[in-house]
Amino acid sequence: MKLAILSESPADEAAIERLVGAVLREPLVRVQSALRARGWPSVAQVLPAVIRHLHFETNADGLVVVVDSDDSVVHTAEHDRPNYFHPLCRMCRLRAVFRQTTKKLPPARGRARVLRAVGVAVPAVEAWYLSGRPADADVSEKAWIDGQSRGHLPYTRAQLKFRVYGTDRPSLVHETNCALREIARFLPDTRRLENDFPGFASLATDLRGWGQPYDEDGRVE
Amino acid sequence: MIASIAFRNFKALRQASVELCPFNLVVGPNGSGKSSLIEAFVRLRTLARMSLAGEGNEPIRSANAPEVSFRFMPPYDRWEAVMSCASDDKCDVLNVFPLSNGEGEGTWEALRGKLLRIRRFELDHAAIARPASRKENQELKPDGGNLAALLLRWRDQLPDVFSAWATQALRVFPEYDDIQIYDVAESDVAFSLRITGERTRVPAHDLSQGTLYALVVFALAADPEPPSVVCIEELERGLHPRILREVQDAMYSLSHPSSHGLSREPVQVLATSHSPYFLDLFRDHIEEIILTEKLGSAAHFKKLTERKDLGELLEGASLGDLWYTGIFGGVPTCDLGGTVSFGERS
Repeated sequence: MKLAILSESPADEAAIERLVGAVLREPLVRVQSALRARGWPSVAQVLPAVIRHLHFETNADGLVVVVDSDDSVVHTAEHDRPNYFHPLCRMCRLRAVFRQTTKKLPPARGRARVLRAVGVAVPAVEAWYLSGRPADADVSEKAWIDGQSRGHLPYTRAQLKFRVYGTDRPSLVHETNCALREIARFLPDTRRLENDFPGFASLATDLRGWGQPYDEDGRVE
Repeated sequence: MIASIAFRNFKALRQASVELCPFNLVVGPNGSGKSSLIEAFVRLRTLARMSLAGEGNEPIRSANAPEVSFRFMPPYDRWEAVMSCASDDKCDVLNVFPLSNGEGEGTWEALRGKLLRIRRFELDHAAIARPASRKENQELKPDGGNLAALLLRWRDQLPDVFSAWATQALRVFPEYDDIQIYDVAESDVAFSLRITGERTRVPAHDLSQGTLYALVVFALAADPEPPSVVCIEELERGLHPRILREVQDAMYSLSHPSSHGLSREPVQVLATSHSPYFLDLFRDHIEEIILTEKLGSAAHFKKLTERKDLGELLEGASLGDLWYTGIFGGVPTCDLGGTVSFGERS
């Protein structure tokens, strides 16, 4: 499978690449190394250009995009209804960008479109890294959503970072090492992560759908 | 170390004050007081070398004479240092006052020792690339001009320090895989980097400006005996935006050494920048950002922590982009009004 990854940092990129490999269970070929965006607003802004570039200028089968939800509305099953779009949900917005961009592009390089795999880490990718650690059993997407609805969040993004890195100012090297150490837990089996974080399960579902026929909205038929 | 600084009639800083953190990123338009802030630190160091003003022998100054007051972090929080100036260019008196609300035990003599170790860096790529006298190997010069001599001493006397520096430098610039320090004439040394996988060596004078600046920044961070305060202008100069995170890490290893597994004393850092990309990296630590802006002829400081709606604003744009828009202030204003030609304004 030939793919590209759009991420916010080299640490995220290293972890996401391994997670994608764990889901697909087949050799990956990176066709465009180190696509980078500067945080959430930048991802949405640059994504059409990135898709277009990959479509015409590379032989990438798909593009993997993972963003943090931060304080935005979390994607739920309700959002997956046909023709539903929540303007404050980052999953909905990224999927919409994919849909609108790929629709306009003619087939190129022997494929109709660059395939999509979108994940949203709630509230930040560090929550994924903590999944399955006994001392951090309180960290899950459901815990965050419950906290949002109660108006009292169970933890802050800064606290999650501290739990993973042991400091609020990790170096990039330390951040990468910690991310890879935690991700190693999921490489044999990603089901726990998918269960605790539907934002990761969506990414995994997209990835497993690669190679299957897609409808014009980018959904697996 | 320096907790706050207050200015009165010092250059464009007519009435301005700011609280400082262990790390401080100062952003703002040209001429808005960034360099004046750093200059005040340097003058404090200069005056700390001299005797304190004694009773009765101070020059008589007008009530509006330039003055800069410094307060300090614990354990020196019971001292206030006031620097008074005859003019913007001549600050010649330092008074030190005990504060009743300070609880720290640090003595003025100990504080003075730290003030003497304030350093300002204005890196010059040409100086960094030139051969350096091997005798000038104790402390990094303000322009970075003795990097080769410093590295030679580390390599020969502090191999762990040299190795840590080289590891970081070669990781950030993977196009090189080795550094060589070599003699030039009898008393000078220079350095070169070897292109990865090749025998070709690139002498320092052929390296890019940004590479040279980054090598000095990493040397500052690796120094086992760093200054007490590092002031550095345009920290991002010449560097690719993706390398800025490494520069931030290097500066944090000075200001927050324990976060980087280091046991040395923290170094206060005051850095200026014009880069929205660099600003983006401080989203989780907005308290470290100081905005400077000039209203008329007077410059002021603002902290981003004053913006209570920052969380909502960041949902729609990055910190750097928000700064660039001007909604925080701290951007140049261009007077295009009227048809007045250059030289006609009164």
